[in-house]
Amino acid sequence: MGDNKILLPFETLTVDQAVGTPLAHDMTQIVPGKYKGPAFKKGHKITSGDVCQLMRMGKNNFYVLDLADDQVHEDDAVLELASALSGPGVTFSGSPGEGKLELNAAYPGLFKVNIQALEEFNMFQDVMCASIHTNTRVKQHQSLAATRTIPLVIHKDTLDKALDFARQQYPVFSVKLFHPLKIRLIITGEEVYKGLIKDQFQAIVEQKTTALGATVEETVILPDNREMISRQIRRYLEKDTDLIITTGGMSVDPDDVTKDGIVDSGFQEIHYSAAVLPGAMFLLGYHKNTAIMGLPACGLYHKTTIFDLILPRLMAGERPGARDLARLSHGGLCLNCKTCRFPACSFGKAG
Amino acid sequence: MEEFETLLKGSANAHGHICSGQVIGVRMAMEGCRLIGLDTPRELPQIKKLIVYVEMDRCATDAISFVTGVRLGRRSLKFVDNGIMAATFVNLETGRAVRIVSTESARHLAKKYAPDITDKREQQLVAYKRMDLDALFHIEAVRVDVNASDMPGPTRFKAVCQKCGQVIRDKREVMKNDQILCRPCALGTYYQPVTK
Repeated sequence: MGDNKILLPFETLTVDQAVGTPLAHDMTQIVPGKYKGPAFKKGHKITSGDVCQLMRMGKNNFYVLDLADDQVHEDDAVLELASALSGPGVTFSGSPGEGKLELNAAYPGLFKVNIQALEEFNMFQDVMCASIHTNTRVKQHQSLAATRTIPLVIHKDTLDKALDFARQQYPVFSVKLFHPLKIRLIITGEEVYKGLIKDQFQAIVEQKTTALGATVEETVILPDNREMISRQIRRYLEKDTDLIITTGGMSVDPDDVTKDGIVDSGFQEIHYSAAVLPGAMFLLGYHKNTAIMGLPACGLYHKTTIFDLILPRLMAGERPGARDLARLSHGGLCLNCKTCRFPACSFGKAG
Repeated sequence: MEEFETLLKGSANAHGHICSGQVIGVRMAMEGCRLIGLDTPRELPQIKKLIVYVEMDRCATDAISFVTGVRLGRRSLKFVDNGIMAATFVNLETGRAVRIVSTESARHLAKKYAPDITDKREQQLVAYKRMDLDALFHIEAVRVDVNASDMPGPTRFKAVCQKCGQVIRDKREVMKNDQILCRPCALGTYYQPVTK
């Protein structure tokens, strides 16, 4: 960003004089509430038929560009900026619009931002880049960020400084592939085990995990029995299991023994509790290459919980620890909106 | 653009035989180019303005390539493996693009358009030459945003696989865990090495 204090040498023509002249940049048309986009693209030769529309758009004067060797047009500059900022899994159009390029996901995965580098990049003069939050689960083609130069023409030296920095920090943006995790599930609860009520957790877990490319290989329903839960986890560990998920029994009542069962099963690294609501009684643990998540019962009621924040990170091969769980505190409060828009909201967007 | 019969003859020579797919491909390419405002796509400067996305790898694809001059190696021919007899013609300069799909109903109309021919394959071939474009194709205007990494021209993007050291061009690398990898290393191969 910063001020462009250098006046660039443009010749200005009135709209009548400009007939037959190629446009130096895209001409944006705004119809309030309906449309904002280029009405005329860069390079379009203005015809007498265009004059009326251009005047209605408030365009009465035009720049004619005669670039010096040390000057770069915004369309050329933004291609360089996008190239320098985009790491693996991030693509962008070959045709900038209005001097801007949107960076998109090449494949589904976990979007990662080098936040500090992005901030520093925006301290350079005459360039900008804005993105969505890091650690967001993204779909293919989803918009991730956008970049542009501020002036219509940028000095090459100024541009090069920003480019050199972005290249040194490569990748500022990337998308991590999701692994097709093999998941095994333990539903706990005396009431479900005895058939007093029908389990609803299995469908929720299957829907959320398969949406990211994982498979639920096996599901068992157990009573609130510490020994049985522990034994089942050990059985799962003997199989080809990437992730074990337990549901329920994570709170403070005498019947809540799932956490104890997990501890007994021999997991080496266990983090219990997270600075997220809903999901404070969450457990995350690791044993060799297998992770375990203990989901509190809030997942039955709330559409979005800590499960939705941690699952994509495990799917991307990450091993979030105590610090990561604490970092979620900033943005970790779900507002329980009537219509859930997650992930397009502040929930889980630690920054 | 040259006459249909001249293009068909050239296409058949290049492809190796004449068939109904050649007829469809030549007519598709001629109409596609006409609709996006290119009349000499095989020559400069128009050769640099055209990209064609084909959605099948059968006879018609070769015909489209012959008529338009687009080539895989020039990055002007893109293969989208949809198994559909369709192609999209994009004018990179103006952004105009049309997708043309060969209609299945045209197969059933062959007898109507070539009642004088009894051999089924010959009947199809001749009928497709005579058939109205409306009957032969479904055509729609579309918008194609071509990625910078898919554009023709010199290689702009290179990465190195952190597992095998292979150079990866055109942003086909992926991030798996915290490693930049080529697709074979990250996703597996379509081939199996033969160990001696």
